[in-house]
Formats: sequence, C-alpha cells, structure tokens
Amino acid sequence: MDQQIVNAIFIGSIYALFAVGYTLVFGILDILNLAHSAVFMLGAATTYTLVVKYGQVFWVASVVGIAASALMGLVIEHVCLRPLRRRQAPPIAALISTIGLALIIVAAVEQGKQGSLFSWLWVDGANSVAFPAGTIPNPTWHVADLSLDASKVVIIPVSIALMLVLGYVMRYTQIGRGLRAVAENPRAARLMGLDVDRMITLTLVISSALGGLAGILFGVALGDISPYIGRDNVEVRGLAVIVLGGMGSIPGAVIGGYLLGLVEIMALVTFGSSARGGVAFAALFLMLVLRPQGLFGTRLRERI
Amino acid sequence: MLLRLDDVRRHFGGVHAVDGVSLEVEQGSIQGLIGPNGAGKTTLVNVITGYARFQSGRAWIESDELTGRPAYRIAAMGIARTFQNIRLFKDLTAIENVLIGMHTRRRDDTLAQLATLPIFRTAELSRVKDAYTLLETVGLQKSVGTRHAATLPYGDQRRLEIARALALRPRLLILDEPAAGMNPNEKQGMRELIERLNADGLTILLIDHDMRLVMGVCKRVAVLNFGKKIADGTPEEVSTDATVIKAYLGTGGEREVTSAPGASGVAEETDVEQAASTSRAAREPDNPILDVENLTVSYGAIVAVRGVSFRVAKGEVVALIGANGAGKSTILNTLSGLIRAGSGSAVFDGLDLISAKASSIVRRGLVQVPEGREILARQTVLENLELATWARRDGAATRAQIDAVLKRFPILGERRDLSAGSLSGGEQQMLAIARGILAKPRLLLLDEPSLGLAPQMVDEVFRAIEEIHKDGTTILLVEQNALRALAIADRAYVIETGRILLSGSGDELLHNPAVRRAYLGG
Amino acid sequence: MDFFISLVSDPVAFWNSHTLLIAQIGINCIIATSMFLVLYSGQLSLAAPGFMAIGAYVSVLMSNYWHTPGVVSTIAAALLAGVIGFLVGLPVLRLRGVFLAIATIGFIEALRLGVILNVPITGEGLGLSNTRSADPLGAINFILVSLIVIVFVVWRLTKGRLGNAWAAIRQDELAALSQGIDVARYKMIAFVLSALMAGYAGALEAHLFFNIDPGDAQYGVTRAVQVLTFAVLGGSGFVLGPVVGALIITLLPYIFQGAGDYINILAGIFLIAVIVFRPQGIVGRGGLALVRPAWWPKARVSAASPG
Repeated sequence: MDQQIVNAIFIGSIYALFAVGYTLVFGILDILNLAHSAVFMLGAATTYTLVVKYGQVFWVASVVGIAASALMGLVIEHVCLRPLRRRQAPPIAALISTIGLALIIVAAVEQGKQGSLFSWLWVDGANSVAFPAGTIPNPTWHVADLSLDASKVVIIPVSIALMLVLGYVMRYTQIGRGLRAVAENPRAARLMGLDVDRMITLTLVISSALGGLAGILFGVALGDISPYIGRDNVEVRGLAVIVLGGMGSIPGAVIGGYLLGLVEIMALVTFGSSARGGVAFAALFLMLVLRPQGLFGTRLRERI
Repeated sequence: MLLRLDDVRRHFGGVHAVDGVSLEVEQGSIQGLIGPNGAGKTTLVNVITGYARFQSGRAWIESDELTGRPAYRIAAMGIARTFQNIRLFKDLTAIENVLIGMHTRRRDDTLAQLATLPIFRTAELSRVKDAYTLLETVGLQKSVGTRHAATLPYGDQRRLEIARALALRPRLLILDEPAAGMNPNEKQGMRELIERLNADGLTILLIDHDMRLVMGVCKRVAVLNFGKKIADGTPEEVSTDATVIKAYLGTGGEREVTSAPGASGVAEETDVEQAASTSRAAREPDNPILDVENLTVSYGAIVAVRGVSFRVAKGEVVALIGANGAGKSTILNTLSGLIRAGSGSAVFDGLDLISAKASSIVRRGLVQVPEGREILARQTVLENLELATWARRDGAATRAQIDAVLKRFPILGERRDLSAGSLSGGEQQMLAIARGILAKPRLLLLDEPSLGLAPQMVDEVFRAIEEIHKDGTTILLVEQNALRALAIADRAYVIETGRILLSGSGDELLHNPAVRRAYLGG
Repeated sequence: MDFFISLVSDPVAFWNSHTLLIAQIGINCIIATSMFLVLYSGQLSLAAPGFMAIGAYVSVLMSNYWHTPGVVSTIAAALLAGVIGFLVGLPVLRLRGVFLAIATIGFIEALRLGVILNVPITGEGLGLSNTRSADPLGAINFILVSLIVIVFVVWRLTKGRLGNAWAAIRQDELAALSQGIDVARYKMIAFVLSALMAGYAGALEAHLFFNIDPGDAQYGVTRAVQVLTFAVLGGSGFVLGPVVGALIITLLPYIFQGAGDYINILAGIFLIAVIVFRPQGIVGRGGLALVRPAWWPKARVSAASPG
C-alpha cells in the first residue's frame, strides 16, 4: 500500500507538471492548447532518439529535448494562435487549430520508416520503447520494506522544486507580474507598456518546455515511450486536472494533479486496475456539473 | 398601471446596484428612467426582464407577476427590450432578425416543415411580409432586409433591434440607451420614432443617462443614483430638482447651475453647432508636443471619429468634452495604439502614433489612464504600481518614485498590500492615476477620471490632476463632466459625433452660452 | 488517381468492389449530420462517439442474445442513445463553450474506460463479436436511404421555427431569451436528436463488422476529433457542410494513395488552414452554389437560413 502511495505521488507529479503548462496557457489566453499532449510526447521522443540513435548522454539529450519542446511552443504561437488573434477569431478556433497541430506532430513522430528521425519506434516491432538500461542511474532503493525505483522517487522533489520556482516567478518577479497582468486584463497591460504578443509567446514557450519535461520524466520513470503516450496518459487526464483545480489557476493545477494521482491509485487498489481509467473522467464530469470553476477558479459571468 | 415595481433590490458582493426601487408606469405612457453612469438603471432592467434575480421586492405587468420568472417567459408575457450594447444576431440578415422575434407568435411547425405542404408556405410568406412592415415602421428601407445585421450602420442597427423587439407585439417596450452615440439629427430621429410608437398605444420605458433625449419625450421621469430612486416626476420637476443636479454635476456645480445639463432638450446641441460656425477657433499652439491631423477612425461600419485635428503644447492641460459616445475615448485609444486609425496622422514628439506599437508609445512617454480605471483587481496595490514601471529601465529611481507616490496618495500607502479590487471606486481611480504617473509620462491621457465617483472623490481626483499638472506633465483630459474639465483646462475642444465643433480656452468655453446650455446646465 | 478513374469509367464495378467504403462514407455522413445539429445550435459537444458506442454495443448485444432483426436492434439502440443523451444533457447543457466540450470528452472517456472496459457483458477490452454481422452490400442501401432521409429531415428542421431558434441561440443566447426563446429546451432538443442520430450511426456501423472494439480510434477522443474535423472542414452553417467534410476526409486516404502515414499530417494541415483562412468551412455560408445544382428552385427569403 505504501508502495502505491509513492506511485500516487509520483504520477501526481507528472500530472501536475503537465497540467501547470496547460493551465498557464488557459489562464493567460483563455484557450485550451490541445497540442500540449503532443509536446509532452515530443519531449520524450526527442530525448530518446538522441540517446539511442545519436548516442548522446542523457543529460545533454534531455536538455535538447526540453529545448525542442520550447521551440514547439513558438510554433504553436506563430502558426496556430497568432493568425487567429489577428483575425479576431473566437477561442474555439484556437482549440481546433491546436488539434490540427497535434495531429501533425503525432503523425510526424509516427513515421517509422527506416532512416527517418523517429525510426526507433519500429525496432523489433515494439509498440513502445524504453530508455536502455544504464542510460540514467536508476538503482532500486530499499527503504523500510519498500522497493522503490530511484527515478520515480527523485522525480518527486524535482517536480516540486520546478513548480515552486514557477510559483515564485509568477508571484515575485516583474515578468511574472506581467504575465498575470496579461491574464487578467490584456488592455490594461498594453496601456502599461507591456508587449502582449511577446508575453504570449513567452507563455507558450514556458508551458511547452514544462510539458516536454514532464514527458521526459515520464519516459524515464515508466520506461514507456511511443507516439501515443501523450494521448493515452495525459491528454484527457490533463483536462481533468485543470478542471478539478480550476482553469487558469496554477496552484489548482498542482493540487489537482496530486489529487488525481491519489484518487486513481486508490481506485486501483480498491477496484482493480480497470477502474483507474474511468476515475479521472468521472471526477471531471462531476466537477464540471457541480462546480465548473473547479477548486480555485473564479466564476465566469457574462455581462449584459 | 401597466408596470409596477415594489422595493426591488439587487446587489453584487458589496455593491448595492439596485437599492429598493419602486416605480409605476402608466399604461400608454412613455416613462423615462435616467441617472448617471453606474446608477443601476441597466441592472434594474435586467432584474425586471429576468436576466438577474430579484433579491427582494416584486414586479407585475398588469396583473401578471414577473418576480422570479425566467427571461424567456417574461418576453413571452409581452415585455420586449433592447440592449445597451446592441445584441443583434450579427450573422443573420436584418429580416431574419425580425423573423426570429416572431418566435412566440408562431406555432411549432416541425411537422409542417417535414411535409412541405404549400399551406405552410403561405404562412411563412405572410410572416415575411409582416417583418418588412416592421422594418418600415422603424424607418428602415426595404433594401436593408437582406443585409447582414453586422454590416448595417450604427443607427440602423439600433432601429433594427427595436423592430425585432416589436415583432414580439409587446405590451411594454423597454429601450436601453437607444440613442447612445448618435448625433443630434439621429437622436431627433430616434425621438420621433419613439413618439410614433407611443402614439400607436405602446407603453415605453426609456432608459438613458442623457437628459436631452428623455426630457422632450417622456411623460414622467424617474431618476436613479447609486441604486436608489432620488426623484420621480414630470421632466420639469426632475430637471430642476437640486438632488438631481448634484448627482449629475457633483459639488461645485450647484451655484452655477439652474437646471441639469441638456434639460432644454435635444435642440441645444444644434445651437452649439451654430455657435461653432460663428465663433473663431482659438489659436493652436505652434510647437505642439502632440499633433493630430485629420484623424478618422472606424469600427466596422461605424465612423467614430471623422477628420479630427487638434494640438497639445507642452505643459498644457487640454480638455476634450462632449456627450457620451462622441468619440472622445476612441481618440485616446487611437493615440495609445490600441486602435488603428483609418486615415489621418498623429505625431507625438516625433513618434508616429498611427503605426507604432502600443508598448513603444508608452515607452516614449504617452501614457493613458483608461476609462473605467482598468486596474488589476487581483494584484495588490503595490504590485499594480510596480507593474506600472514596466516600461522604465531605471531601477533605483523607480523604487524611490514608488515611495514618493505612496506618500503623495496616502490612501494607497495605507492599502499597499491589499488587493486592488478591494478599493473603492475613488481609491481605484487614485491608483490608476498613480500608476499613470509612475510610467513617467510626458503626456498623460486621462479618460473620464470622474466617472461614477462620489462628489467628494471627484474633488480629490481633480486636485490630484492639478498637482500633476503643476509638476510639469502635459495633460489631455477627456471628461463628461464638462464643468470640472473646463475649470482646470487651459484649452478645450468640444466634440460631438466624432467631429470637433468648437475650440477655445477653458474660460471662453465655460462662459459660452451655447456650451453652457448643452453641457453645463445653463 | 486510379481511384477516380475507376469510379468514372465503370461505376457499377466500382460500387461492387468498394461496398465497405461506401457504407462507411454513408455512416460518417450520418455522424457528421449529428454533429451539425449540435454545432448549429451553438453547442460544442464532442459526445458523438459516446452515443455511437451505446448504439453499437446495445444493438449488437440485442442481436446476439435476443436475436432481434437488424433493423429493430438498430432503432432500439438509437432510442436508448437518445434517452441517455437526455440524461447527460440535463447537467451538461448549462455549460458553455470550452467547458461543454470538456464535459462531453469526460463523458465519452468515462463511458469507454469506466463502463465498457469494465463490464463483462461488453467483452471488455477484447471487444464484442457480432455473430450476425450484415453483408455490406445489403446494408448499403439501408444506410444510404437513412442518410438521405436524415439529411432531409434535418434540413427541413433548420428552416422551421426550431431551426430559427437554434440559429438565434447560436448567435447570442441572451438575445434569444429576450425574444421568448426557451434556450435550455431547444438546446436539449438538438442534443437529444444528435444523440439519437449518433446512436443510430453507431449501431449501423457495428453491424458492418464482425467485431466492435472499444479502442480510442473507435469511440474515444480520436474519433471525436475526426467527427469535429468533418464539421470544421465542411462548415457547420448549412446541413450539407459536415456531410461534404465527412466525404472528403473519409476519401482522403484514397485520394492520396501512397501517402500512408502522411494522411494525418495532411489532415492536420487542412484543419489549421481551414480554421485560419476559411473558418466557415468549405460549404460555409455562401458556398451553396457548390452543392446545389443550378436547376434547384431558389428558395424565397425564408426564415433564418444562414446556409
């Protein structure tokens, strides 16, 4: 049972890290970036490719992986979002254009043909791959009567540290204040001299970097990398987390992530593994029906 | 009595938007409901029409109770309304908008549609015919029918919204600021339309904050201020009521004034136009820091600003006065780079404002304190101030200046760590101004700084403005409260429907009889 | 290209050799029309795959256990989908925009992962085998006739009082209320009809195959995205829009033969291009001329036909 608690906290960290990026974009732009889960996968896939195909050391590969994800954030802004903002399109349009980009990213990674960038997928006909043993030191620690994967355990404080840093930046730095200003009132922000377009680009870059990092950590700890890890693990769960926590609220995303992790593991323990999948969505549904603004969100009210 | 309201109350958080209002509207009359901005008029309408809940109090139309009913039922009961911000079905054609208004009078025809029998065709055609008649009734041409609502000119959109409301065949028509943003001729047209509709027996409740329109048309007028009804009587009685005058002008206004601004009716504005053609323009400064030439700005089909030219010299206080919707805010927003001008030029200290990015404009020293304050409610006072220094790059000096500002506005100093949203309206205005100063402006644009503030706060705000001016900042001030604005301005321009009608020194305009009658209440 | 050549040169042979494809197109068009209904009334609901799953499983179970004839089980399943649509709609329809979309995603995944994969009778992860699957050639006529009837019915609905109300709601719910339109009720009607249609399509689809499986591509988010793409590509202003979109997307792999894995990349590019440059879709509003033959009688200025 205690073993499962560690699992819960670990998977909660991944959910939280992913959801923070999701909610950051929603908070500032009022749109759902559905390419986020594709970026999660891209981070893992890029890192893996660099390690396995190009023989890079893990740390270098992962930095490049994060950079690639951050770069994708730039692409999302310039290809999917800015053209729509210029045309004053409704927020739903951004939803759809990010879906389009997600399709492209996943399909591109799916290209398993020999010699192409992501050909590792088709190694031995496997459906998913894992980092080769020894890529990253991952001893099994024996604490009390638990056998814990070091990687899983270490990821927890790493994630928490990252979220604390982000929280600090958002609350106490000028940049963070600027981002919050844009989130609350873009017009007032402009009048104070903020370059709103640049702030938005920054948001997407940070969010995507976090998403990609979450993917890398996921790949490392769970040994599961495929073009579908985004879709299968975090795409819809990420939605559940930000709904639970309140869309646009970073603390909400963090707490929601851990909450979901905990609830899923509890369902797993109580009802068996098959229940795990449905839990997130049942929770999502209930929250939307009972309290659409989530735990920490604010009520939206339309003015007449 | 057609409509009866009894002690209606509605509050949001701590704000008493509607604070115990009782009203009776006589069958077949035109009842006015006026009050300054933020008085609670639209909230009251929203409560009556079912868009907001009654927190206490009741309302009836004839013998049918309205309290607690949902909006669509109230509409079906015969209360039609228009909206302050025009809510037409934008992507539908004008005629389709009106046809939708007939929803409650149609019977469900699902089966009919499926059967496509010719009988049902005739029903449809007769509806279309009725719809065109309605368009005619509100003064729209037949050709307008097949145009999409979004493409119609502003005045036509307002009329279309009325036609759609009429399609309900209502017992009561509520018009929420139907003439906002219209020029005197258009307002006259709207006035005639309202009278025509009433002549046919329709009871009308007319909401506006503009005395002019309401005076000539309404049989009785009720005045709201801060959610309470402060007067209720004939137009005559109401416009000379001391409480009403104070509500509109704030303190400092009573001694100069015998009646509320615009009380003599719409005609006064045309007087101003006449005055414009006969007076000579004041001398424009030779070395202006801001030079605006022939500026034209449109929103879609609406030309908000037409060929406006003016200049501001260093160290001056220049005021732009005029009625609501005259285009004043549009001018400021264009100068700040939030809106792109259609044509014309605006140059600030060598920077072309038309093509520059908003952030560059602020960095150059042109800073706006926007209408409605637009402070960041969720951040603290201090954070708001710190953010204001974004455009500046002199770190240490910034800290010192923030402290100086907090000292100058002690209220802000006291509340530095509270969320800005918890401040009162007046305090928020102070914060907005403080924020403007911190951006180190060379030209400070102030958009309606006294809007919605209690009279004492208005005094404080104008005191602060004068202090800023004394420190050497050039100020361009947009104000509905013409009295205050002209009192502190060096020069001023009168703007009406996007054009400059008159210009002169503050004093000149203050004593210009036409201006006095139209904007200052005689 | 050979695809089109064979279509034009020998239609009959083409028909016979591509029955499954044609049947799938028909079904996708029906699903697209169900999507049209909710979008036309301003609701971004992605619940279609969920109702399809209900339709599929229920009708196959009925066929397997009660040996009901195909038509009966299909219609019964559709009705059940409609009922569940009503139940789901009750809490969900007061949500707007993105929130509604998310809630419907929650619904379909809760259904798929929570219910279908956990209830033994559905065969859980292995899917359900259909002991009485129909012959596609036989089913085609039924499917195409259904499609024509459904499209006709929905088209007529949009022209009537119901359609007017939906158009108004889509434009501006608050303004619609001021015209006496019971917004909640009409939204529910659209939602339930859409559920019915999706359930019907799901049941039809199930009978084409020997096995139905609860994978993501069948009844999950991936399918929901595909259905949304039909509507976005074709445009949701006129009933034929999503149908055209469904046609194009389903044929995409055949038009671009050899593209293989690149199909999705193409689909993604289409999606972005359409939403940025022509958000009203291919058929859009003014695009009627594309789909209506010149001899079709021109409608008089009729009520609320933004198509």
